[in-house]
Formats: sequence, structure tokens, C-alpha cells
Amino acid sequence: MSIDRSAERLLHWYPASWRARYGEELAGLIVDMSDGRRLSWRLRADVAAAGARERLRVKGVGDPRSGGRMVLWAWAIFVLAGMVVAKTSEHWRSALPPGAHPVASIAFVALIVLAAATAVLVLAGIAVTVPSLVAFLWSGGWSQIRRWILAASVLTAVLVVATAGLAAWAHGLTPAARNGHDALYGAAFLTWVALASATLLAWTKAGTGTADRLSLSPTVLLLHARLTTAIAALMALMTAATVAWWVAVATVAPGALTGPPATPHASALVPALVVAAVLMMLATTLAAAGARRAHTV
Amino acid sequence: MNDPTTLILTSLSSGERHGYALQQDIERFAGVRLGPGTLYGAIARLEERGLIEAVGDAGRRRPYRLTAAGADALETSLAQMRTIVEEGTAGLAHRPSPVLNVAGART
Repeated sequence: MSIDRSAERLLHWYPASWRARYGEELAGLIVDMSDGRRLSWRLRADVAAAGARERLRVKGVGDPRSGGRMVLWAWAIFVLAGMVVAKTSEHWRSALPPGAHPVASIAFVALIVLAAATAVLVLAGIAVTVPSLVAFLWSGGWSQIRRWILAASVLTAVLVVATAGLAAWAHGLTPAARNGHDALYGAAFLTWVALASATLLAWTKAGTGTADRLSLSPTVLLLHARLTTAIAALMALMTAATVAWWVAVATVAPGALTGPPATPHASALVPALVVAAVLMMLATTLAAAGARRAHTV
Repeated sequence: MNDPTTLILTSLSSGERHGYALQQDIERFAGVRLGPGTLYGAIARLEERGLIEAVGDAGRRRPYRLTAAGADALETSLAQMRTIVEEGTAGLAHRPSPVLNVAGART
């Protein structure tokens, strides 16, 4: 690849508006600095980091929607973590004697109720943008968002087919085989998780990309700011409920978290739950930052 | 004192320069080689704040020059640095001589 081409490619780290103003000059400087040699990794990293900073700046400064966008991405990450918790918590009730886990039960029910309430708030935030979305599509905006919507739709179609296939396969397996004792099914399940994650992230990208292009009234923006605060608070409560449930189950019977057959002396530090808890905390932090930004812009 | 914006303002104080000339000049007087992303990030900030301005038409080697506000900002920045330099120099001049212990080592 020529130096010019490499320089042009590096410019894609920057937002379009920045490229339009400084792109040609920066590409010229990169070519001058390369002195005809291959671009160094240090130079590439410097440009990539500076470009990413510009993107964050452009998205954050003066854009009242940036807080809502952060919270929506935080919610997508939280849902991924929730999928992990849902899988890990499939068999904990049946593995414990009745009445042996009141705290775990209360925390788990709280988690489900809070998750449903948060989903309703996210949907409410989307619903209030529908009039603006209709106006945007009516004025020919479809071409601007088509690629995101189509990509997310294709992924959704593949996910539906994969889910049906996996469910049919799982129906003929024993609980033990479905929980890690069948390597082939395990690999297929992990592929399904990756596909489901990609689908969720694709719809989030489609949603935030579309929202960026909508003309939202001050009333809708104010409502979004209030929703972001509520969603961030609910995510913090869900994280706390998950940790409370985890600690309660781990105290009574840690083996209940590893799925059937329950292992008597298993560790409560199930790697999947550790990853889920970390993701939940990261998502909550991102949502809190987004809520703060939504109110300060 | 290695803040890219101050280095750029300092370089432009002696005349117009484009990106590559700025980078070369800064390396000459400060011994700092700014990466292209860092340099243009600082140029964008300075232009946004009205401290520098582009000269002539768009192109790969578009020169920049200091504005009046940029000259004032550089003056203020240099005055602050001068205070720091004077404070540090005075402190070092009044520093007590190192005491030698019996083994001859500084304490």
C-alpha cells in the first residue's frame, strides 16, 4: 500500500467534519514525516489516538444527545451482562432446598423487576422520538440510516434461524450436555452468544446513529435527560441485586452456580459471573457519566 | 513546558509555518518530536480559540500564523514560565551546600 493511501486510511479515525477541514493537511504531514518509508506504529498510534479524541469531542461538546447515546450503549452492555447472568442462574433454584435461600430469592426477583422497569424506560425513550423519526423518514432520511438498519436486520434474521436450530438441538440433549459436557454444543452456544451480542450492538448502533440525525424538541431532550438518570439509577440497583444474589447463593451452595450436575465443592467465583459483574459495573459507570452529561449540556 | 500549544505558538512567533515546518522547528528548539495527530489536534484547538489562523488557500502545506490574541497568550505563558524559571534558579542558588559524611558521600 502506498504512503498516500496509508495516510488517507488513517484519517478515518477522525470525524468527517474534522477531515473536511484538516484532513488534506494532516495527510500531507504524515507523508512528509514518513520520508518515503513505511509508516511507523508509533505514528499510526498517535494519529489514531488523536482521531479518537476528536470523535469524542465532536460527539460530546454542545450535543445534548451525547448523554442519551452513552446511556443507550451502557444499556446494551448491561443486557449482554444480563444474558450471562440469565444463563448462569438457570438451575440455582432447583439445586437448593426450598426455603434455604430467601435473600437470594428476593435479590433475584428484584433483579428481574428492575430489568423489566429499565427496559420499559428505554422503550419510552425510543417511543418519544417516533414523531421525529417519521418526519425524518418522510423527508428522505432513509438513505442515511439504511446501511445500519439493513445490517441489524440481517443479523436478526440469522439470529432467529440460529436460535431455532440451537433450541431444536438442545431439546434432544441432557441437562448436563447442555451445560458444558458436550463440546460441540458448547461451541455452538458460544457462537450463538457472539451472534446475539453482535445483533444487539448492531441495533444499538442503528438506534444511536438514527437519533443523531433526528431533530428533537427541547421537551423530548429534557425527557431523555430525566430518563437517563432513572436508567442509570436502576442499573446501579440491578448491579447491587446481582451481587447480593450471587453472594447469597455462594454462601448457601456455591455448586448451584455451575449448572447441573451441581458440584458440591465448586468455587462461587464462576468466571462467567465475574465477567458479567465487571460488565455491569462498567455499564453503570458509563450510564452515570451519560446521565450527568445529559443534564449538563 | 512541553505543552504542544505553547510550542506551536512559540514556533509561529518567528513567522508563518506549515505543519511539517512547525514539527521540524519544534524539534530543533525544544528537542520534542510531536506526532502528526498531536500536532494537528493542537493546531485545531488553537485555531478554534482564535490564537492562530491559516494563511492562503487550502492545500497540503497550508501555513499558519500567530494572531494578536495568540501573541498575547504566548506573552502570558512565557511570563509564567519566566516566573517559574526565576523561582527555580533562585532556589537552587540559595540551596545549602551538600554535607559530606565521613565516607565522603553526599547526604
